[in-house]
Amino acid sequence: MLRRFKERFQGRAGKAQTAAGRAGNPGQAEGYPQPRENRKILVVGQGDSFKEAEMDYALNLAERLGYDLIALNVGPGPATAATFLTPYRKYQRDEFSRRAREAARVFKDRVTAQGLNFIHLVKFGDLGPSIEQINHEIKRVELVITATDITDAEVMAEVNLPFFTLKGFSEEKITTGGREMRQMRPWGKTIAWGIGTAALYAATFLNSGTVMKYFTRGGWYAALPIMTVFAFSFVHGAFAHHLWSALGIEATKKVVQPRPEAKRPVRRQRPRPELRLNA
Amino acid sequence: MDAGVHEAVQFIDLNTTAVLFLFVVGFIGGLVSGFIGSGGAFVLTPGMMSLGVAGTVAVASNMCHKFPKALVGAYKRYKYGQVDIKLGLVMAASAGLGVLVGIKIQEWILATWGQAGSNLYVSVSFVVILVIVGGYVFLDAWKTAKKGGEEMVSSLALKLQKIHLPPMMYFKTANVRISMWFTLPIGFATGMLAATIAVGGFIGVPGMIYVLGASGLIASATELVIAFVMGFGGTIKWAMMGMVDIRLTLIILAGSLLGVQLGAIGTTYVKEHMIKVVMGTIMLIVAVSRGLAIPKYLKQLGLINLNDGIIAILGLASFISMCIALAVGAIIIIGAMWRAKAKTAGEEVYEKA
Repeated sequence: MLRRFKERFQGRAGKAQTAAGRAGNPGQAEGYPQPRENRKILVVGQGDSFKEAEMDYALNLAERLGYDLIALNVGPGPATAATFLTPYRKYQRDEFSRRAREAARVFKDRVTAQGLNFIHLVKFGDLGPSIEQINHEIKRVELVITATDITDAEVMAEVNLPFFTLKGFSEEKITTGGREMRQMRPWGKTIAWGIGTAALYAATFLNSGTVMKYFTRGGWYAALPIMTVFAFSFVHGAFAHHLWSALGIEATKKVVQPRPEAKRPVRRQRPRPELRLNA
Repeated sequence: MDAGVHEAVQFIDLNTTAVLFLFVVGFIGGLVSGFIGSGGAFVLTPGMMSLGVAGTVAVASNMCHKFPKALVGAYKRYKYGQVDIKLGLVMAASAGLGVLVGIKIQEWILATWGQAGSNLYVSVSFVVILVIVGGYVFLDAWKTAKKGGEEMVSSLALKLQKIHLPPMMYFKTANVRISMWFTLPIGFATGMLAATIAVGGFIGVPGMIYVLGASGLIASATELVIAFVMGFGGTIKWAMMGMVDIRLTLIILAGSLLGVQLGAIGTTYVKEHMIKVVMGTIMLIVAVSRGLAIPKYLKQLGLINLNDGIIAILGLASFISMCIALAVGAIIIIGAMWRAKAKTAGEEVYEKA
């Protein structure tokens, strides 16, 4: 597992180096990919993704200062080598790394589009030690930026770097790669509601004789078809909702509260009594 | 309706073709109504009747599927912030009155000129209203599209909003402040049309857009609230007569709940004028379809003389063109969604919330 991790990083390092190679950078320290020996900003993501706010902020800052960027995702679980883990834990780690890489790809595109160097790292364990480890392994990391919910004190105790937390962005969309979104699709819920829907339909149509007998009696029996359609619309509606989102068809997030473009003056005062001369 | 009619009603045996037809039309109808606020009923009712379902049962079963569909669609679009519940309820209240008056007019025509006269009245109303309103909606959508998709509030709505005629009402989501006296006729006309041609939204949505000044997005979403209230009331009436064939309702619902959610999602992908494009297109094709049915009723009234073969062909053409109206609407919606999704696929991740 460890070897696979190293291979993966080194593989990426190779790519990073080719990008950095033009600048004449040989650098790689202790198995980690290194952009050229420029100053760097370390951006710590939230779980396996990065927030829009921290990406924007870090990118702007890096652009202004001419720094490179290192993106870091820190996964849950012990910092021990992957060889000592259970298969399930290994699987979880692999999944975390994969999602983190997907998220970082978006970030990378934006950074490289600005002509800056970028590397992405995934670590497991506590945040403080992970950052400190990178600080030791990679030269010239100047500051840390994050939009995570962690309190500064937790990390400050262990990290010897200026540490900036972006506040007030908690509601903002967490930007991850499209592939990750697909991974989170609710197939389980779709199947569960689908079974519920199928059961309701089976119950109705297998007993259609009885159903039709009572449902068409009229009068107070009118409540039966009405209650039935409400129940169906709830269960089948939930199934349909999950099905579309499982298929990746979801509302785009840009539509929040569309307003008509009325530029009319709002007339608020009531008409005032006026003196008129009746001639 | 009395108990005698109830006993005479036959409920059909379902076969695979019927089930598939109802499911598919339910889905497409749901898709269209999730998108433009109404639709589907104008194909479902004649479609069911062509399967051998009695007219009243077709209307009742259709109505019974309409309100849960509208409920699910309205809920979905409410979550997107598109539904003005207050506007919907005010409109629905006056629409209820419109339905009652519409039914009275229908009954009077039925008593005076018989079934053919009533059918002719329905068809002529269809053609006249749909050509005028549908044509206007389509033209407006065309102009908006040429201007790059920027929707403007109509000048009529702006003028009416300036008229201070108490009680004034403010509709928050629609961002419209207008006298109650202007909302009532729109609701009333919606109800009248619903009672006449079963699709009140063809008046309600353009009314909310051009007379009240709501946006297409909000008008079509709010129409779902009106459809729910009216459908619920209508269903209670029909169910108390025992006219609802729950099997037909549930099959249509199976398709339409899928469709209505897709349609609702679709509104968040496309530019707002697409709602008008779809609505105008459907209305104009439906107008053609009902126009094709008019000679039949004229013949029944003895006003013209036509070969039976031609009448039959016209009848078939009328039904097919109605299906085409729905299909074209669905294709435009899915096509627009597809293009929008493909376009935003690359940008989506960069967009700020």
